[in-house]
Amino acid sequence: MPGKKEAAQGTGYPVRKEGLRKRRRVGETIIQSLLFFAGFFSIFTTLGIVYELGKEALLFFRTPEVDPWEFLTGTSWQPHINEFGILPLATSTFITSLIAMTIAIPLGMAAAIYLSEYASHKVRRTLKPILEILAGLPTIVYGYFALMFVTPLLRSLFGNDVVQIYNMASGGLVMGILILPLIASMSEDALNAVPRALREAAYGLGATKLEVVLKVVVPAALSGIAAAIIVGISRAIGETMIVAVSVGAGPNFTFNPFQSAETMTGHIVRISGGDLSYDSIDYNSIFAIGLLLFFITLTLNIVSQRIVRRFREVYE
Amino acid sequence: MRKHLFVPLFAILITSLVLAACSASPVATEEPVVMTEQPTEALPDPLAGYLPENTSGEIITAGSSTVFPLSERMMQRFEEEGFTGAITIDSIGSGAGFERFCVNGETDIANASRAIKDSEVESCQSIGREPIEFRVGTDALAIVVSRANDFATDVTRLELAAIFSTAETWSDVRPEWPAEPILRFIPGTDSGTFDYFVEEIFDEDEAPILSASNLQLSEDDNVLVQGVLGSPYAIGFFGFAYYQENAGALNVLAIDGVAPTAETAESGEYPLARPLFIYSTAQIMQEKPQVAAFIYFYLTNVNYEIVDVGYFPASQEALEAAVDAWYAAVGLQP
Repeated sequence: MPGKKEAAQGTGYPVRKEGLRKRRRVGETIIQSLLFFAGFFSIFTTLGIVYELGKEALLFFRTPEVDPWEFLTGTSWQPHINEFGILPLATSTFITSLIAMTIAIPLGMAAAIYLSEYASHKVRRTLKPILEILAGLPTIVYGYFALMFVTPLLRSLFGNDVVQIYNMASGGLVMGILILPLIASMSEDALNAVPRALREAAYGLGATKLEVVLKVVVPAALSGIAAAIIVGISRAIGETMIVAVSVGAGPNFTFNPFQSAETMTGHIVRISGGDLSYDSIDYNSIFAIGLLLFFITLTLNIVSQRIVRRFREVYE
Repeated sequence: MRKHLFVPLFAILITSLVLAACSASPVATEEPVVMTEQPTEALPDPLAGYLPENTSGEIITAGSSTVFPLSERMMQRFEEEGFTGAITIDSIGSGAGFERFCVNGETDIANASRAIKDSEVESCQSIGREPIEFRVGTDALAIVVSRANDFATDVTRLELAAIFSTAETWSDVRPEWPAEPILRFIPGTDSGTFDYFVEEIFDEDEAPILSASNLQLSEDDNVLVQGVLGSPYAIGFFGFAYYQENAGALNVLAIDGVAPTAETAESGEYPLARPLFIYSTAQIMQEKPQVAAFIYFYLTNVNYEIVDVGYFPASQEALEAAVDAWYAAVGLQP
């Protein structure tokens, strides 16, 4: 043993290590525990939300008036008179999201490609923050923009009799504008992450700029772009204020985007805006809607993670 | 060593700043309380303690969106007379107002466009609250269409029932009306206006009106006004004040040949004339003199404002009975 100790002292290294270990670093411990709590807190909140949603939704599904099959397939939603068919709310969510994505995906992609591949450094430095301001506007502002500007515009284009004052089209279009910068910004990051060498190799083979962009850079960034699109879809499904203000306030089973309807989120916001008793079945029903929304976005997030992992191309 | 000290020190600094900010606010609110005590002792008049300028503190009210514009106006007048506290009025529907008054016990006053139900009185009693009713005015529930609607001017009660339930198009109600779908804009299911309409027109059965097609429900009467304005084939109903606010763009329908006016509403000739109320309890009024003061001010001044807001005065007897109830609640002789 003494021999070993001497050897250790001979190098000098382990002795200093021992000395370091003995000194208590209070600041470090505090910071570490704060960070741990920050991480723990968000996980705990998520668990709490799932628990609360599940508990109240279970109350809803346990009531004798509710048939889970009818909940998923019924075409009339009026909890006050025991009609619990989620379809009118679901189709409205689906249609507004579809309209939003037909705006946001092509425009967002085009903006991302321009910013990443074509714009000069200076242009990019000015344009990107502007795009991000668009993403930072409160959504209620977008809601009134839809109601006061887009709806009258649609009505003057297609006629007052065709387009109702509250309609899915205007909400969907404005939601597309809201999601556009999100998709543009995330896709641009993905395009930017494609190594320069790949582009230069393509140019070296005589490819034109458009060919490089569409056949080399975009496919290489596909996983990031797919993730951006899926985040955009989840955002569209969960978006609340725009649809609450402009789409309408009554569940309406229709596929006509110019008619008023009510999305799942819009219904929750209207019903919980003080218009319900806490112990009623209507109140529990909004948790069932919330749970369904949660599952839809959870599935989308899992799918997006799968896609990212599957199509990721790693360049060292 | 310095670097290590810096972080915890910074954390302590921020914590103390936050604590300081928190403890600073109660100091600011304490001041007005002192002011309320002094004049009460100086003046012999028992009502002096209930003058707007002599009271302060919080008054929390919630309930009917029909009563909301009236309460809001009374609040403004009360503040103009010197009240320095904070009044909140939430426009959430009569049912939700009673929910917050009787179940959660959060509010001091419940606004309602219908009388309190027995079940609501029971939940109030179960949390130790004995609601007292104060009649403040009369509303004529207005059935409205857009000015662009050039065919409908009056309806019968039966036609009204058809319009808000089974009729798909206007021609289903009267053959000479256009064959266009009826777009319906009605108050939400927990509003007193909805309850009242269902009671009067559908004999308390909610199913027909809620099963109607093209139905939009909202607790926010302005949403309904916007909706009715949106199409000549839209129809809606809400408190008379919201019609009057938009009288330039809306037409109000006569029912069974009687149009809603001050005379027909007061005489009860208009079929959809209904009372407006506020509710509180004796205990709240004694514990929070500012609440009692507001109600006293409300009852004694409402008739100067009510027509301007868009409703009609309650009968003299009803208002006097309300004032008597107020005296009994605070324990004074009239």
